[in-house]
Amino acid sequence: MAITEEHFKKIVDKLVSLKDTSEIMIDLAYSSLLLNSRALAEEVEALENHMDDLHTDFELLVLSSGFTPEESKDFLGLIRLGVVTEEIADAAMEIADVVLRGLEPHPILRLVIEEAEETVTKITVSESSSLVGKKIREAQIQEETGMWVLVIRRGNWWLRPRPDTVIKAGDTLIAAGYAEGEADFETLASGDSKTTEEDE
Amino acid sequence: MAESGKIEYRPISVREALTEMKDASEIMIDLAYSAALFNSHELAEEVLELEKRVDYLAYMIDMSTMLAARDAEDAQHLTAVTTVAAATNKISDAAADIAAIVLKEIGIHPIVRKAFEQVEERLARAIVKPNSILVNKKLGDLELAAKIGVDIIAIRRRQKWLIDPSEKERVVEGDVLIVRGAPHGVDELKALAEGKIKELE
Repeated sequence: MAITEEHFKKIVDKLVSLKDTSEIMIDLAYSSLLLNSRALAEEVEALENHMDDLHTDFELLVLSSGFTPEESKDFLGLIRLGVVTEEIADAAMEIADVVLRGLEPHPILRLVIEEAEETVTKITVSESSSLVGKKIREAQIQEETGMWVLVIRRGNWWLRPRPDTVIKAGDTLIAAGYAEGEADFETLASGDSKTTEEDE
Repeated sequence: MAESGKIEYRPISVREALTEMKDASEIMIDLAYSAALFNSHELAEEVLELEKRVDYLAYMIDMSTMLAARDAEDAQHLTAVTTVAAATNKISDAAADIAAIVLKEIGIHPIVRKAFEQVEERLARAIVKPNSILVNKKLGDLELAAKIGVDIIAIRRRQKWLIDPSEKERVVEGDVLIVRGAPHGVDELKALAEGKIKELE
């Protein structure tokens, strides 16, 4: 029996989620270490639990594809890829665990991570922000503030920002960048900048 | 199969080694997914090359942190370093596992392509031939990002890896360049490295 298009699409979506979630976890884990932030480390922990569910769903979907013996090698490749995303997620959890267990991050760690990003900030997008309804590509956050969005938290869901992702009011944006841009970023998300921006 | 080199202690900067490990592990993940997407043995092989480097760094970090601990408090602080180094190493192992799927021809299902092709950028490997105009040029002077939208994210020079090479670095004949960029720019860079295009506009 050939795999149906719907089933195929479900597997694709799950694999994309597994890959994205594992990468978000890595970004958040390093950030939690940089800021010695329990809150971010706890996000990683929550994602780890979410990841376990995703992975099980993915494996069940793959196994129930009704593949032929000739196709089994390709499907084995899929299963292995799923395992790899889980390994990456585990590694992220180990990094976040340093923070959760209250091990004081060694100054070296801060230096290592700071090479890439100076600060990480978390802010909720208000109704009046000019970001609402804009795609990440159009929002020009990095151009205007020097901060880039690592992850978007929407309710109980985490999204990896893609150029086409639309920002909604109530989204929590976790962004990294240079300390100078933090205030600009906060103004942009809180909406106070709306008038000044249009004046320009 | 490459023989594992003997590991001997050398004084290193833990900070530099861990930074390199972190950067390398991130490049490895990107390279490995690209290898799976394009079913590319050459990219998969680069992942395994980087893996050797990361393993070496992991040993050096372990030894250096052991030597640095003078008392219980030091040990407690340094545990955080070794834990993070071990986790970073695990990420690079995961990338190597993806490379192994490609190299052992276990099979890359069309689903994988479908899932990963949402990525707009691609990674590729370019080998610098003697007649390439890139030879002996500084990376900063080439302005590859501005001209063709391509970044050189790593260089492999014989056994040595330069991760995130500096602007002052000069390209040497035989360098293996790991590049990231839009598909068109990546193809152009490959042609430049192979000496097939003689001009960079």
